[in-house]
Amino acid sequence: MRNDSLHKILYVEDDADIRKIVSMSLEMVGDYTVAACGSCSDALEVVDDFGPDLLLLDVMMPEVDGPATLRALRSRESAAGAPAVFITAKVQAGDMAHYKRLGVFDVIVKPFDPMSLSDRIGQIWQQFRSDAHDDAG
Amino acid sequence: MTTPDEIVAMELARLSAAFVSQLPEQVQAVEDEMTAWLDAPRDAERFEILSHRVHQLKGSGSTFGHPGISAAARALEERISAYRRGMDSGELRAPADVESAMAQLQNEARRARTQASDPEGNS
Repeated sequence: MRNDSLHKILYVEDDADIRKIVSMSLEMVGDYTVAACGSCSDALEVVDDFGPDLLLLDVMMPEVDGPATLRALRSRESAAGAPAVFITAKVQAGDMAHYKRLGVFDVIVKPFDPMSLSDRIGQIWQQFRSDAHDDAG
Repeated sequence: MTTPDEIVAMELARLSAAFVSQLPEQVQAVEDEMTAWLDAPRDAERFEILSHRVHQLKGSGSTFGHPGISAAARALEERISAYRRGMDSGELRAPADVESAMAQLQNEARRARTQASDPEGNS
């Protein structure tokens, strides 16, 4: 049974500066515990020990992109049930439906305000829990 | 006492300043990759490297307070993709659109640097 509260976020983003400010914001403003990874392979190394409640993934990354990273993480039991949130600058007509088919719960569109990101993640988590409760009921 | 919000805001300001100071190198790297790709436009790896560099500028520009950089990078990204689509359909056109978008990105980078060094617009 997954936690009712959101504590641990596995975050994958190749841009080091964006990764730093987002991690800081989530940890210091949102009080979450963040495992910040620069690539899919980094994420696969830490995911089992970390046991994330939520996956936060950049979409366009070199070598292994967000969708492929999500597939790889989903193959691990430790991340199989965690909701996935994509961060992307590229949301065109049809993209959202495509992301939903991949099992993405929600999308945060770049540019985003790093200062309010924690609130947005908190809202997404509440929606995820509410949907899960409705499905169970 | 400094609050967590203030600490994050200070780090954001520091990273924003670093972003602007690194812009000339970043834009030059995009231009170099673009030149290399236009010399070999069917080279998929070159295209991926170029697209990724432009995409990063698009994402980080607005995050670090320079939406003009993001807009110029977005326009360049679209024109690179359009040029490639034209090439794939056998309709290889002159890359003038791509080059003008690159020039616009360079202008925006200069503007961001000027704005950062003279935020009051006194000069």
